[in-house]
Amino acid sequence: MLDYLISIMLTAGIYAIFALGLNLQWGYSGLLNFGHVAFMAIGAYATVLLGMNGVPLIFAVLAGMVLAGACGAFLGVATLRLREDYLAIVTIGFSEIIRFLLLNWSSLTRGSFGLYGYPRPLEGLVAHEDYNIVLAGIVIIVLLLVYALLEVLAKSPWGRVLKSVRDDEAVSISLGKNAFSYKVQALALGSAIAALSGSLLAFYLQYINPNNFQPIETFYAWIMVIMGGSGSNRGTIVGAILLWGFFSTTRFLEGYISFSPSASSAARMVIIGVILIGLMMFRPQGLFGRKEDLAVGK
Amino acid sequence: MIGQLIANGIVYGCIIALGAIGLSLAYRIMNFANFAHGDFLTLGAYLTLFFAATLNLGFPAACILAIPVTAAFAVALDIGIWKPMRSIGASRTAIMILSIGVSIAIRNALIIFFRPDALRFPLPVMESMNLGGILLTSFQISVVLIALASMLVVHALLSRTVLGKSMRALADNPDLARITGINVDRVIRYTWMVSMGLAALAGIMFGLITHINPNMGWSIILPMFAAAILGGIGNAYGAMAGGLIIGLAQEISTAILPAEYKIAVSFAIMIAVLFFRPNGLLGGG
Repeated sequence: MLDYLISIMLTAGIYAIFALGLNLQWGYSGLLNFGHVAFMAIGAYATVLLGMNGVPLIFAVLAGMVLAGACGAFLGVATLRLREDYLAIVTIGFSEIIRFLLLNWSSLTRGSFGLYGYPRPLEGLVAHEDYNIVLAGIVIIVLLLVYALLEVLAKSPWGRVLKSVRDDEAVSISLGKNAFSYKVQALALGSAIAALSGSLLAFYLQYINPNNFQPIETFYAWIMVIMGGSGSNRGTIVGAILLWGFFSTTRFLEGYISFSPSASSAARMVIIGVILIGLMMFRPQGLFGRKEDLAVGK
Repeated sequence: MIGQLIANGIVYGCIIALGAIGLSLAYRIMNFANFAHGDFLTLGAYLTLFFAATLNLGFPAACILAIPVTAAFAVALDIGIWKPMRSIGASRTAIMILSIGVSIAIRNALIIFFRPDALRFPLPVMESMNLGGILLTSFQISVVLIALASMLVVHALLSRTVLGKSMRALADNPDLARITGINVDRVIRYTWMVSMGLAALAGIMFGLITHINPNMGWSIILPMFAAAILGGIGNAYGAMAGGLIIGLAQEISTAILPAEYKIAVSFAIMIAVLFFRPNGLLGGG
């Protein structure tokens, strides 16, 4: 039972960090990143590959964040001068390209066999059966740090400019702010946060392969952000807990329904799709969000 | 060798083009990128399979039935979802996020009904014909002929009919269109029917030359968007040209790159277009 609680804490915590990166992009800045999972994959693979080659893990994690941030900035520079649709199209394409690359660049990533047996932080210091408790502690600390950073940023001049760009780009430009540059920065920072969650996911799973990074993962983050209330970091964390509660409950219920495994996971996905549709139609501000914090409402 | 790649590229490009025309038309009239478009290709293919294999209607009849049924489903979706979103004045971004939800729901509903495995239409396996060193099946040749015929029909529809004129009017200025007495909801529903009918046709043809699986439409959403952007998103003729260029580029790239990377070619083209010619080769948008 304790193991189960800790595993929920780990997944919900990791996905909360992942979704906080998206909240910075969508909630604060109104950016449609439909390929968030790509940056998680970049973080996970960069950390694992560097770690396997003897790079100290802290630097491996940072390298993944820098790489993901650079990719995010590049996609932003390509699209953010154009209409908002283009970022959505390009990021969704990017996430598929990254997955294809990881699948097919076998000499580096071992393709669909995936990678395992890589170093994890503090591994030598704790007994194997206690490791997840320690990792859960690390995840909670990282989550709190990311949360605190984003809260500070939201209240800083930088965050205020970002929100003003989201609400009315023309006004912020007329006040001499470089809206384009702010959006690129938000995209890069959010992507780096996704990479950080990817490193933690790799530490937790002990085995990664490209199928961990399907496009649907991006939209889990979207549901967490929207359900909790776009623009609210606390809401995003609650959204992560709610979504993981939903997954655990439906997995528990599966035992009582005579569906084939593929059909029951598909049924769960249909519900996910319907939740997204319902939220956008009836409650775009989410459960706890404020209408004025909504890039969608106008 | 290169002749074969060009032939393959034209076949694949025709399918991408048909998908991209619908995507571009919907973008121009409804003013948003519909991320569920690929799943309507899949829906069209599965409906055909259902009519042909389960109801034993014969393949041609199944195709002819699947296209209007897909279009009818699109209209139902307009009544149930898109129209209420228009009425509350929802923003483009909200509608795009919603289209992702529609895409997830359709794709997984198909998995529940048809299982996730790859399937084939109940048709005999075709021998390839040798046309001056280029091997093509009669399926591939019919794909090209049907796609070209459909493009002519789309051209006639856009340039010769009242509906085409209303669509252009609505795209250029919705308010002006409304006060000149154009029934906006009706034009939008006809646009959905055309767009999704073409998507169903593209899905059937894609299933014909490869196989049918629940991810098939989603898997080519990237080349379809690349084609639409290359042609100037919103421009139906641009989408046709863009589809053929993307198809040819992807297939010809296999002469120098491993075939697994051909989808990356359309991504690279899309990024290059956005950097250097964001309105596409033919403008529009």
